[in-house]
Amino acid sequence: MKRFDIVTLESPNRAPLRIEGFLFGEENTTGPSVAIVGAMSGDHINQLYVASGLVEYLRTKEEEGLIIGRILVIPAVNPYALNMGEKNWPLDKTDLNMMFPGYAQGETTQRIASRLFGELKGYDYGIILEGRRDQGMCLPYVKLMQSGYEDLECTKDLGLGFIHYRPHDPVETAMLQYNWQLWETKAFSIVFGKNGAIDQSTSNEVHTAIVRFLSKREMLNIPVFEGRKSNIVDPNRITLVKASRAGILISKVQCGTHIQKGAVLGKIIDALSGERLEKMISPCEGIVTCQYAHPLIFQNSIVFRIASVELCCQIDTKK
Amino acid sequence: MGMIEEVVTIELPVGENFRIQRCRYTSINEKPTKRISVVSGIHGDELEGQYVCFLLGQWLREHPEAIMGTIDIYPAINSLGIDSITRSVPFYDVDLNRTFPGSKNDFLPAQIADGVVNAMRGSDFAIDIHSSNIFLREIPQVRIAKAQEDVLVPLANLLNIDFVWVHDAVTVLESTFAHAMNTIGTKTLVVEMGVGMRLGKAYGHQLLDGLLNLMAHEGILDIEPLAVRFPIQSNVGEVAYLNATCPGLFVPVIEHCQVIEKGSLVGHIVSALSGEVLDEVIAPITGILFTIRAYPIVYEGSLLGRIFGEKQ
Repeated sequence: MKRFDIVTLESPNRAPLRIEGFLFGEENTTGPSVAIVGAMSGDHINQLYVASGLVEYLRTKEEEGLIIGRILVIPAVNPYALNMGEKNWPLDKTDLNMMFPGYAQGETTQRIASRLFGELKGYDYGIILEGRRDQGMCLPYVKLMQSGYEDLECTKDLGLGFIHYRPHDPVETAMLQYNWQLWETKAFSIVFGKNGAIDQSTSNEVHTAIVRFLSKREMLNIPVFEGRKSNIVDPNRITLVKASRAGILISKVQCGTHIQKGAVLGKIIDALSGERLEKMISPCEGIVTCQYAHPLIFQNSIVFRIASVELCCQIDTKK
Repeated sequence: MGMIEEVVTIELPVGENFRIQRCRYTSINEKPTKRISVVSGIHGDELEGQYVCFLLGQWLREHPEAIMGTIDIYPAINSLGIDSITRSVPFYDVDLNRTFPGSKNDFLPAQIADGVVNAMRGSDFAIDIHSSNIFLREIPQVRIAKAQEDVLVPLANLLNIDFVWVHDAVTVLESTFAHAMNTIGTKTLVVEMGVGMRLGKAYGHQLLDGLLNLMAHEGILDIEPLAVRFPIQSNVGEVAYLNATCPGLFVPVIEHCQVIEKGSLVGHIVSALSGEVLDEVIAPITGILFTIRAYPIVYEGSLLGRIFGEKQ
C-alpha cells in the first residue's frame, strides 16, 4: 500500500489541506484499475466510513497477495469541512462536487478539483461514494447518468438491488461522475445512507458490493457470493408519497420494506398541539427505497419513494 | 398603493409558513400594458436588491398616475435566508439559484423555485438583482449568456448600469432563475452590484433610474425616458482575472472599483503571523477594475479582482 498526498493546499492559518490517497497493487500491473472516491462533502460520514473500511480491507488483501489490479481509494476529499461540521468548502461554501473538471488557474475549489481530477483520469473504473442531496435516507443504489459514455453493464457486477439510470440534469455536468465519464472512465456513483450518520448495515452492504465488483472485474483475486440481479429503474417512475402537512414525522416502515397497497407508512403530527394531521397510506405495492430522515418535515416534502415493478422498470436499456 | 400578496406559501414544521410576498402595482385607469417582475433575495446574503425594491416602491406610491402596466416587486425570494444571513436555503443548505425551474414533486428548494416561476409566469420582463456575495464588490453590471445576447443586451443598455458582460453559456447556469424565465419567454436580466451583507445607497439609486428608464421605454410607465449612462460592452475587450497566488490576508491599495493601468499595484497578500508581505498583486492589463475582493482572507486561487480592458 502506498499512502500519499494527492492534493496539498496551504491555508492562511490552518494546517495545510491534505487529500490523501491509498494505492494498492503493483505499479506496472497490466490488470484493470479503479479509483474509489469517498466523502466529498463534510456530512458524508457514511461514505468516509466505507472508504476507510475498504482501505483497511485492501491492506490485508495486499499482504496476502490478492490484489491483481490497481486500486486507488481516496476516503476524504474535503477533510477541512469534515473537521468542522461544514458541508461544503468552509470559506466560500462551494460544493467540491460541483467544480469538475476543475480549472488549474481558477478559484480555490476549482484548483482542488483540477488537481484531484488530474489524478483520477486514466482509471478504467471510477466509483463515487455519494450521500444524498436532501434530508433522506435510502437503500444503496447505483446512480448512473446517461452522458453517452456510461457503462451500464459493469454496474451490474456490484449486485445491488437498484440501478437508477437516467439522463443528467444540467447542474450535474459540473459533477465528478459526468466529467469522469467524458474522460472515458467507466464512472458511476453508489448513493446510500443518511448524511451525518453511519448506518452499519448499509455500510456493510456497500462494502460487500464493492468487493464483489473488484473480484468480478479482476482486480481482487478472491471468490465472492453472487449479489442481487439488479433492477434497472427510471427514477422518474418511482411512486412518491408526499407530506400534505408539515410537522413531526413518525415513520412506521424501514427502507427496503416490501409494502402492500393501502399499508400504513407513517403519520404526521402537529408539532405544537400533537394532533394527527395526516396518515400516510401506500398508493401501491412495492419496495420503500427511500424515506425522509429528519423528524421535522416540511409541507409537500417527499416522505417515501416506492419502487413498484409495474411502473419503474419501464426503461430502454439498449446501449 | 401596491397590493401585497403571498404568492408562495409552504407550511413549515413548527407553527410557521414559508412565504414569498410580492407588492403589485398596476394601472389605475388603463388596461395594463406589459408586466415586469423586479426580484431580489434569491441569495439570502444579498441585500442591495432590497433597497432597490424599497426605492422603486416608494417612487410608485408617489406616482400612481404614471403606471401603465403591471409592476411586481419581490424583495425576498429566499425569505428564510434573508432574515437569518444565510445565502442558501436554510435547513437544506442548497443554492436556490441552482434549482430552477424546480418541481412540485421535489424537495423544499425545488418547490420554492417552482412556486417562483409560476408566480412570475406571464411577465414580459424580470430583473433579478444580486449583490455578488460577501467576498466580492462589483460595479453595477448585467450578465448575459451568449445565446441571449441579441434579445437582452438592448434591454440591459437601458438599465443605467456600468458594464454589460456577455459570457459563454455554461451548462450549470441552465439551473438558474434567469435561464428558467428566459426559457418561458420572460426577458430576464441578472444585475450584479455591490457586496453581500451590505447596502450601497448610491448603487441603489443608480439602478432605480435604470428601472424607471426601462419601464418608460417599454410603456410600463408613462414618463419621459431618463438620461442614463451607456454601459461598457464586454465584446469590445476582455476580462482579466486576478487570483491569489498564495494564502494570506489580502490588503487592497485601491478602495473602490476604478480605471487601473497595466503594472500598477492592486494590493498585497500579507502574513498576519510573520509580518511578511507574501505577494504583490499587479494589474495584468489596463482597464476598469470592476470586481475587487471585499473579504480579506484568501487561499491560493481566491478571486481578488477582475479587470475589463482592451484585448491584448
